[in-house]
Amino acid sequence: MQEFIQQVVSGIASGGIFASLALALVLIYNAMGLVNFAQGEMAMFATFIAYTLISHGVNYFIAFPLTLGLAFIGGVLIERAVIRPVERAPVLTLVIVTLGLATLINGAAGFLFGYTPNYFSSPFSAHTVNILGAFASYQDLSVIAVSGIVLVAIYLLLQRTTLGLTLRAAAHHPEASRLLGVRVSWMLALGWGLASAVGAVSGIMVAPILLLEPNMMQTIIIYAFAAAVLGGIDSPLGAVVGGLIVGVTVNLVGAYVVGGDLELAVALAIIIGVLVIKPNGLFGRAAARNV
Amino acid sequence: MTALLELEEVRCGYGPTSVLHGVSLSVPDGGIVSLLGANGAGKTTTLRAITGGVPWTGEIRFAGQSLRHKPTEDIVRGGIAHVPEGRGILTELTVDENLRLGEHTRKDRAGVRKDYDRVFEYFPVLRERRKLSASTLSGGEQQMLAVGRALLMSPRLMLLDEPSLGLAPIVVRSIFEIIRTINEADHVAVLLVEQNARLALEISTQAYVLEVGRIAVHGASADLKGNDSVRRSYLGY
Repeated sequence: MQEFIQQVVSGIASGGIFASLALALVLIYNAMGLVNFAQGEMAMFATFIAYTLISHGVNYFIAFPLTLGLAFIGGVLIERAVIRPVERAPVLTLVIVTLGLATLINGAAGFLFGYTPNYFSSPFSAHTVNILGAFASYQDLSVIAVSGIVLVAIYLLLQRTTLGLTLRAAAHHPEASRLLGVRVSWMLALGWGLASAVGAVSGIMVAPILLLEPNMMQTIIIYAFAAAVLGGIDSPLGAVVGGLIVGVTVNLVGAYVVGGDLELAVALAIIIGVLVIKPNGLFGRAAARNV
Repeated sequence: MTALLELEEVRCGYGPTSVLHGVSLSVPDGGIVSLLGANGAGKTTTLRAITGGVPWTGEIRFAGQSLRHKPTEDIVRGGIAHVPEGRGILTELTVDENLRLGEHTRKDRAGVRKDYDRVFEYFPVLRERRKLSASTLSGGEQQMLAVGRALLMSPRLMLLDEPSLGLAPIVVRSIFEIIRTINEADHVAVLLVEQNARLALEISTQAYVLEVGRIAVHGASADLKGNDSVRRSYLGY
């Protein structure tokens, strides 16, 4: 039983990481109906920036917010430079652009930082603490706390501020929003910036667990896809719930049923299962189309 | 009265299809002007051209300033509230959030508060439904929300695209009463696109009739209402 609870706790920690990246995917999907295949690579690149700052002596707790700020600016710049010129293009064009972007960022990271895996130290120790008879590592608990704070912050931004209101308006009804004075094109850029920053959180959280190298996020993004699809690809709340479910499920199934090697297959099974049985996910809106 | 909005020989279309073939009209400051015509005559396109929703040639001036090459966001921030075809309600958001979007660009908080009071005085039902999703409103309530939201933009000119569409006659009456009140009490000029010509001519002082992208008739609303041949040929009642 104790081991089971520990597996659940570490599943929740992985879930927080998946949820952050899934939320980044949802933010961009909501803004432009597009799955950003470069989201994981953007997070990986941001993590390298954090790593570089820390290895130059910057304190972790300063490097972390600084990296999120830089990731935000990077996301805005990518939208302005790469996405804006094809903003009105068919979705397939945009998908190809994000795939190209993923390859580009991956290559740039390899060129700038090399392919040798780097040990990314966490300020939170791997020691465990006894909570009601179950043991959880400080690292898992800190990942849960940080993910939780970020997700709540994004929720408050979207639901409680005027900026969040205009972001949501622009995402759902660009034409009607424009007529109310919302600068829709800038909202898209801000959406990319936010997504980039939220995604960076997942990269920085996962780096101490995996090793930091350009391909670090390539499995994480699959889990994030599974989380986003499970939650309903257009629902921020769904991304969070989906992330936690995927994290816990994969951990438990990996530990007790199929073994660690097949954990990724579990994520793929979730994606396919959801798409076949409940394509709108847990919280997604039914897709309506005029014919 | 000086012209607040002027269109001169405005031409535009969608791709290769030309919709407006040189439309000229003007709306006086503080006046109500109706733009009538059959389906497909170009009424909606005329409104969309004014707020930059379709590219156009010719000249459109608002308060003496050309609107050429101005993005929609700047045009509406400059004092034109456009209630589009289908009302433009954001159905994923609550009634309150829709209203907030109307005033989100304004800095005069005291004026905004006064305008909220005014909107709830005109449309008490909106106050009751503030916390509800806008998708739960009836058609008439959505139209009230659209007009109330437009009022919160503190505009000098309102463009209304078929406010009567799909609504029960009694609801239409009350909405038109309030449009008249907004015009008189808040000194907001109105350009009203309507299929319901009888109603539109009652509320407006000037009227234009569009026929396949051209102004076919222009005159005082009272004259058009009294002119049998105009009425039979263009207004269909």
